[in-house]
Formats: sequence, structure tokens, C-alpha cells
Amino acid sequence: MITDSRPAAPAPPRLRREVRHAGLVAALVLLALVGLVTRPDNFATSANLVGVLALASTIGVITVGMTFVIIGGGIDLSVGALMALASVWATTLATQSYGPAVMVLCAILVGTGAGLVNGLLISYGRLVPFIATLAMLVAARGLAQRMSDRRTQLVRPENDAIEALSTGRILGLPPVVFVFAAVAAAGWVLLNRTTFGRRTFAVGGNPEAARLAGIDVRRHTLLLYALSGLCCGIAAIIIMARTTTGSSTHGDLYELDAIAAVIIGGTLLTGGRGSLVGSILGVLVFTLITNLFILNGLQTSDQLIAKGAIIVAAVLLQRRGLRTPT
Amino acid sequence: MPIPSRRGVLFGGAAVAAGALATACTGNDPADDAPAAQSAAGGGDNEKPGRPVTIGFSAPAADHGWIAAITKNAQAQAKRYSDVTFRAVEPTNDINQQISAVESLISAKVNALVLLPNDGQQLNQVARKAMDAGIPVVNLDRIFPDKLSYRTWIGGDNYGMGVAAGHYVGRRLKEKGVAKPVIVEIQGIATLPLTQERSKGFADALKTHGFSVTAKQDAKFTVETGNQVAANLLQAHKKIDALWNHDDDQGVGVLAAIKQAGRKEFFMVGGAGSANAMREIKAGGLLEATVTYSPSMAASAVKVARLVAQGRGMTDLVELQAPQSITLASETVTRQNVDSYLPIGFES
Amino acid sequence: MGEQQTLLTMRGIVKEFPGVRALDGVDLDVRAGEVHCLLGQNGAGKSTLIKILAGAYRPDAGEIELDGRPFRPVHPTAAMRAGIATIYQELDLVDGLSVADNVFLGHERARLGFTRRREAERRAHGLLSRLGHGEIPPGREVGRLPAAGKQVVSMARALSHDARLIVMDEPSAALAHDEVDNLFRIIRELTAAGVAVVYISHRLAEIREIGDRITVLKDGRTVARGLAADDTPTDRIVALMTGRETSSAFPDRPPAATLDDRPEVLRVEGLTLPGVFADVSFTVRAGEIVGLAGLVGSGRSEILETVYGARRPGAGRILVDGRPVRPGSTGAAVRRGMGLAPEERKSQALLLDQSVTANVGVASLPRFSKLGWLDRRRERDEVSTLVRALDIRPGDPGRAVGTLSGGNQQKVVLARWLVGDRRLLVLDEPTRGVDVGARAELYALIRGLADRGIGVLLVSSEVPEVLGLADRVLVIREGRVVHQGDARGLDEAAVLEMIMEGSAL
Repeated sequence: MITDSRPAAPAPPRLRREVRHAGLVAALVLLALVGLVTRPDNFATSANLVGVLALASTIGVITVGMTFVIIGGGIDLSVGALMALASVWATTLATQSYGPAVMVLCAILVGTGAGLVNGLLISYGRLVPFIATLAMLVAARGLAQRMSDRRTQLVRPENDAIEALSTGRILGLPPVVFVFAAVAAAGWVLLNRTTFGRRTFAVGGNPEAARLAGIDVRRHTLLLYALSGLCCGIAAIIIMARTTTGSSTHGDLYELDAIAAVIIGGTLLTGGRGSLVGSILGVLVFTLITNLFILNGLQTSDQLIAKGAIIVAAVLLQRRGLRTPT
Repeated sequence: MPIPSRRGVLFGGAAVAAGALATACTGNDPADDAPAAQSAAGGGDNEKPGRPVTIGFSAPAADHGWIAAITKNAQAQAKRYSDVTFRAVEPTNDINQQISAVESLISAKVNALVLLPNDGQQLNQVARKAMDAGIPVVNLDRIFPDKLSYRTWIGGDNYGMGVAAGHYVGRRLKEKGVAKPVIVEIQGIATLPLTQERSKGFADALKTHGFSVTAKQDAKFTVETGNQVAANLLQAHKKIDALWNHDDDQGVGVLAAIKQAGRKEFFMVGGAGSANAMREIKAGGLLEATVTYSPSMAASAVKVARLVAQGRGMTDLVELQAPQSITLASETVTRQNVDSYLPIGFES
Repeated sequence: MGEQQTLLTMRGIVKEFPGVRALDGVDLDVRAGEVHCLLGQNGAGKSTLIKILAGAYRPDAGEIELDGRPFRPVHPTAAMRAGIATIYQELDLVDGLSVADNVFLGHERARLGFTRRREAERRAHGLLSRLGHGEIPPGREVGRLPAAGKQVVSMARALSHDARLIVMDEPSAALAHDEVDNLFRIIRELTAAGVAVVYISHRLAEIREIGDRITVLKDGRTVARGLAADDTPTDRIVALMTGRETSSAFPDRPPAATLDDRPEVLRVEGLTLPGVFADVSFTVRAGEIVGLAGLVGSGRSEILETVYGARRPGAGRILVDGRPVRPGSTGAAVRRGMGLAPEERKSQALLLDQSVTANVGVASLPRFSKLGWLDRRRERDEVSTLVRALDIRPGDPGRAVGTLSGGNQQKVVLARWLVGDRRLLVLDEPTRGVDVGARAELYALIRGLADRGIGVLLVSSEVPEVLGLADRVLVIREGRVVHQGDARGLDEAAVLEMIMEGSAL
């Protein structure tokens, strides 16, 4: 309240967001330099970089949905389980007998449907998002295990169109990378250029104000979780393409990876403020770390330490960026 | 741990295979939706009905194809005997629940127990209680530390798996005349002792051929982690000569990653012996062999439990009672012998 | 009062934030046993000054003396120990804790780390009784108390510190008339006991009634010190605060006759919300301002909220332009041309982190979009026009709303409803927390909206505001309309009498 009609003022939020992205871009550049120095022959090959993008595509697509949910003031813990369920449902014998198009449709419908259930529980059942999606996490994994009889379900040879999403090449890149790029681009447009995105910020920033401004907050919340579910369904297609399987073990702890990527991307966990570009950069940072560690033959346990350190560092930086006088 | 000779106590593999051809593999086979299981009739007098016995069974809940196969195999084997009543308790991954489940079997006064504990250390006490109550315990795979806690242990040989894989890789590379081979190993969960034993056996066997592991990385026994680790590892090494993957479940993901990277210059050896891996071997791709750690051991355990409860010995041995310890050999399945192993391959 | 001795002296206080000099040489003297009023527009530096006094901020330059000794509170606890207690505008209570827990928060009645609940509740009850509110149960959760009750709890907390100086930041903002009287009674008791009170308020009438001396801040400086509260002319005070002379606060009304043939914008018939209000009927014509007067808790705000669809009525009809509106849906209300400026600006209306543009545009997204696609240039252009038209300062539509002053935030809320063609604006306490200079501007703005043909429905706790601004007044008592008529025939005393009549309070 001290800044009334004064010329010098703290930087507007938009500028700060650019700075935050600059930090992530710097982190990516730093990681790339590490890669170039430690493994000059292996890191900067097109095969490796394509591989990193392909690996980032499953968690990346899920993170797009998670970004919407978190900006909208919620949280979705069920993403990994929903992906597993969608992958299992899409690879049952019955589904597979209808061919790859139906498998894709099945994964999308299962993901979106389960997301809708999340949304209904939260917006109309008035459950806390943490609890509703935690319940969905447990239940969806259970259902996936029951449907698959705890087996890994292979994509049958006649449905190898699914696998081709990962083995094929368009302009030198596997189709799953284009799927990821398309979801990310569509997500960016939806968040930054449409009324849906604007309402998402409003609902997450101040739900009461949004309601009194005439926004149907409950319906919007419902749609956010359905959107997250849809992303899980798309991610299920990618994981089916990459592993040629559907399994109840897919997507283990994805919820934590996705939330971590969203947070280091500069989105507030309390909602109302955030950036999709940051989330995508966050996913790439994490994927690149894994890649660098394996290229250098280091243990996965060390990767976890590095990831933890990055999350803490990012959140500390974020807080500095947000500090303003009152 | 001593390396068992290849023809040592060969109880699981071949003997089981002989009788089990009938139970075909299923999973993605639409013609047959019955659960896959390996069990065996075996031969000799022991197959004739004896005194009726009740065999209690407790194992962890399945989170992996291998564990799922264990329970199925035990059940299927018990069904073969008219003189066996099979009492399986609800599988669980909770130590406390498993303890109380075993206690309920003890108070139900079963004639023998087959136990695959979640943790050998933590279930030792309750197994000991069963033995003290006069109920013989057949300990499956994860061993109890106290020998008074079980009558017979039957399990696989993790070190032996590594050795079998190491020898196969060593011999094939020698045949090919590769001088300085790049050998890559994809482990399961790195912190588990069984993973460390497998890796040690692999390294030891390679050493006898004058080779060593170039790089190893751990996955988590799941298809997805296998795919992820392999995808990165393939980029770390542009030319590979041989790859050993500890686990055929995660191997599905490894094979997918290899295909996605378009790599063909090396051969791969699997582990555990899933039906899917065997079909790949038969088809003749990159996956040339797999070394078994067969869940058929559960069927054998039920067989042994029945004999112990009825006071009978194993007819192929001279002794009048069943042995105290049976370590299954890790067998190498290749294109040449895959047909005889396919029936005992488990669906992952 | 010259014989009273000086308790607190502040000299040349300077406080800078990145890019902003919030205080630029502030002087303040407070004597023991006086009520010292601190006046200034929002943004003049009042909040920063009291935060320095409370130990929440450290000054960059300047001297503070307490009892003639240098005083540098480095931490809120240090200030409290020195006998300075602060009751903030946004009450700093923990909703989930009990009344007693809140009173003793930070200096719990405890032995060996175990809280002594019974003693705390007994002492809290003592403090509350002293404040004339012995009926508040010390064990009750604070979140379940009304605003006035929370105010009393804050006051009890200040008393629990045996404070010698109590800073009150707009203590009457959330209170109804009778509650304000009680507050003044408490303040008089405190000052009689030698406690000094620094009183911040935008209501000049209150300052006249309770204040002893006045200090005026403008743009981070003291522009007047130690003025007599009872006989300094109003226009002199306003001139000091704003730096300019002001004319009459309320804009001229159109002649009553011209309104009679205007079409009805809103018709409310037999509206009932069980337990809150019953059988409320009235109309608002195009270009007319209708004011609701009543006590806090009389149902006046709930009537507004029900008309707007934020609450679902038990019975009755709401018609806009002669057609019924779906009850209980804010979305329907907005689509039919209603707009609301709610009572709690920050928690109910604003997206504080987001830009002026986003805040103005949020209720008119369909207008700025085609098939869900936002036309951001059009949105920016329209909002920029409004920012200029309403003189929202600073005039940057990209600026986060949280950094604006109260008056400018309220303008942003009003601007939200000036996009497109609104039929009816519903304003709940539109001038709460807005300083005197900016109020006149808001009044003119509201009248200007009416002159454009918009119907306005207004609630205010300040009867003069309702009488000065509205064309017609509805007096609400205990959920019923007890009087309805032209504002010009009424004076404040008559309205107050109707409000209070038959009331137990």
C-alpha cells in the first residue's frame, strides 16, 4: 500500500517470470556443458538428444495437465496411477482385438473418465483435492492390477502401429516427441490465450472472487481434473509405444516427478500463478540429469540427491523472486 | 556361496518340465484364459495317494510376474494330489499381516507349511513357532536365518544366475573373437542383496574368460524403468558387444528401447526365464538366451511339503527322508533348448 | 492536556523498500493518556510507520524515544515487552485457535511447556469483561466469531500485554454503530488509566469524537503535527491530506421527478432467506441509486448477495428488466447484466497477484473472446481506456493489483463492471478502507454510472454516506424492510432511530 502514485515501483510480475525462466534455461545450459565436457562423443549426438526428448515425453505430457491443476489451486496425486490404468485398459485382450485406433481412444477415455471422477469428487463432493486424488491413486492402481492380473500386458504384433509411434521417424524424430510438443503447445495456448486459461488463474488465485465475478468455479475445477486425466491418457499411449506394454507398474511416483517439475518451473503450489513453459523446462532439466548420470555411469541414488537439491534451490530462488514490500 | 554343479540337485527344471507340457502359456493368448502355471506329476511311487495332509501356504502379494507365478504354481501342484488339502492365506506385502496369517495356519494345525516370507529375518520367529509346534516348514526362496525354523529350504541361486549369464556371454564373445568387448549390465533394484549376488556371479564368471563389465546401471524390475535405463545406456555406449539384463520383466522395456534406438550390433541375455523372453529367443532376435530363476520352485516346494508331511523320502535319492536344502540350478535357455523350457516359462 | 507527559517521540523516520521511499522523514509525538489520531491517504505511509513502531520493520534512519530513552524495537516481541501493542487492520488472529489461545498467543499461560488452559480462559474472560464483552466464550474458535467479536479479541490481546501504547489501525472499519460506541467507551477507559492510543481512521466524525490531537502524513512525510482534534476545520484536514482544497463530498442528485418514468432495472418480490431476512420487495430504476441502511447482522449484506445470486433464496423472485433471473447463480446474474463490488475487496473480489487487466477482464471474458480464444489486444485496449477514465493510479494495466492502494483497488473492482453494458451494480461498502480524498472521487464515479443509466444498489454502514449518495433509501432491521422512501426527506438521526428502534442492542 505504499506504492500509490510513485514512479519507481517493483518490477511487474511478468518481468519476474522471464527471470525465473532464465534460471531454468541457465540450468539446462549448464547441464549441457557438463554433458559436453564429460561425454563429448556421446552427449551432443542427435540420437542422444532425440532420446532425451522421447524419454521426457511421458512425464512431460502429464506435467502439462498437472500445471493446469496446480495453477487452478488444486493438486492431482493420481496421475501416475491413471496412466497405468489407461495403459492396462488399452492393452487388454478385448481392447486389443479392435485394433490400435480403439486402443488409443480407450486410453484417452479411461484417463479423461477417471479425471472426471476426480473432478466430481472435488468440485461437487467437496473433497479436498489431496484426499480425493490420493484415493484415486490407490483405487486406480488396484483396478489396474486387477484388470491385468498383475501381469505385464504386451501390445500384440498386429497392433504394432502403437509401437511405431516410438520407433518410427517423422523429420528424424519419433512421433511421440511430436505428441509431446503438440500437447505442450496446445496447453500453452489454452493457458495463455483462451478464456479457459484466464479462468484457471482466477479460480486458483481467489476462488471466491472468481465465483462472485460470475465464473462457475465448480464446473471449471471439474474440467481441470478432466484435463489432467486426458493428459494421463495421452501419456499412457506414449508409454505403451515406448515399452510395448500396458502395466499396473507404469508411472510409479510420476505424481511426485510432475509436481516437482511444476514447482521448479515457477508455479506456486498454492495456485493462481504459474507458467507452462517453466514446467516443460523443469521436465527437461530432470530428464537431462538422468541422462547425464547414466552417460557417466553414476548411480541412480545420486540422481535422486541431485534432483532433491535442485527442487530446494528452485523453490528458494522462487521465494526470492516473490519477495515484495507490503 | 558355492557354485552348484550344473547337474547337481536338478529338481525344478527338467523334472517339472516333463510333466507340465500340458499347461500351456496364456497371458496374451486369446485361446486360453486360464492362469499359467507349472506343476508336475513326476514319477514313481510317491505319486500314489498317501495319508491325507493339509498344506498351508503363505506368500507376498504379487507385484511382479514372478511372485504371481509362485502362488499359481503352488496351487496348481496341490490340485494334482487327491490327498492334499491346500490352504493358502491371503497374500500380503505387510510383515505383520503375514505373521498373523501364518499364526492362523499354525492354530489350524496344518500338516506342513510352505512359506515364502516377505522378509526372512522378520518371519523367522513365527516359522520357528510352527516348527516347535511340530509343523514342518518348507522355506521357499527367501531363507530364514535360523536353521531350526525350517525343515527344508528350496530356492534359486542368484549368484548362479550371474555365473550362467557370465559364462554364456564369455563363450559367445570368445567364439566371435572379440578382443576388448563392451559388456553392459542392467540390474534390478540395486539395494537388494539378490541383485548384488547376481552382479558378483556375472563379474566372477566373466573374469574366467578374461573379460569385465564395462558399465552397469540399475532399473527397478519394471518395464518402464527398464526402458528408461536402457534408452540412456545405449546412448552412453555407441558400440556394445553384449548386454545382460537381470530380469525378463523389465527386459520387455529394454528390448523396446533397443528397437527404438535401432541398435543391432550386440546380443542380449535375460534373467529369470519368462515365457515372453523364451518366445523372443525362439524367434531369434537380439535376445539370445536367458538364465532361469524359475518360480516352478513353488510347485516343487508343495511336492516336498507333501512328502515331508507323509514321512516319505524322494524316490530318486537313496535317503528315506527329503533333503534339508535344495538349491535350484540356474539354467541357460537358448534357441537350441528353448522348446523344452517354454512350458515352465512364466508369464510376466 | 499540556500537563501530560510525552510517552513516545519519533523524529525523522525514513524507511526504504526496493524502488520506493515509503517514509521520508516522519515525526510523531504521543503523550500518555491521549488519543492521537494519525491521518493520511492510503499510501501516505501510515501502515509502514506503525509497523516500525511494532518492531515488524526497522527504520533506515531516524530516532525513536520511549519515556525519554532511545528505543529500537528489533522484533515484534521486543515492542510488546516495551508496552506497545498493535491492532492491525487485517486482524492477525489465528482462526483455528480459541479466543483464549489467541489472546495469549506468543506469551501463553504455561508451566513447563504445558499450556494452562483453564487459567488462560479465566484471564481471557477477565479481559473480555473489561472490554464489555464478557459474553464471548473464551473457548470458542475465533474463526466462528463475527468481525466485531474478532476486534474485541484483538483488543483483549493488546490489554493482555499491559500495553502503555496501543496502536489501532482502522478499528471501526468492521464495526457497526453500537459497536463503535463500545469501542470508544473502551478507549476512554484506557486513556483514563494513562494508556496512550494511536488511532487511525478515515472517518472524520470519529476523530472529532474520540481524538485529542492529530498528526497528518502525506507522501511519507509529516505535514502537520499536534493539531487539535475537535476544532481543526475539516477542509483544512482534507487539504493537508490531499494537498488540494475539496468541495462538497457528495455529487448532485438529479431531480426526483426525472427518475419516475425510467424503466425498472431490478424488481425484487417477496425475497426470503430463512433465518436471515424475509419478504423483501423493492425496485431499482435505471439511473437510480438505492441505498440499504441497517446494522451489521440486520441482513442488508445478505440481501445484496442473494440478489446477486451468491446465496440461494428460500422464496421470492428476482427480475432484471422484467424477466426472472435464475436464483443462486452468480453466472446467471453476470450474464443478465449485474455486477458486484463485494464487502471484502481482497478476499472476495481481487486476484491480488494478477494484473489490473486480468482483474478487470475476468468477468467479461466472453466479451473478449471468440470460441474461447481471447482477443488480448481488445481486452488491453478497453481496460486501458477504463484505467484512464477512472484515473486508476499508477496507470499501468499490467501492474499487479496487490500493489495498488485501497481506493485504486476499489476502482479496479468498479472498472470490472464497466466493461460492456451492465444493467445493475451491487455495491457492498464501496468506501471501506478508502481515504477521504479518494472517497469523493468514488462518489462522483458511482453517480456518474447512474447517470449513464445503470441502476445501483448500495449498502453502507455509514448512514451519511447512504443518505448523501442514494436517491432512495431502504431501512432494514432484523431482516425486514421497515422504511422505504426518498433519501432527501430523511436525516441521519431519523434513520438511526429506525435502525435501532426495538433493537435489544
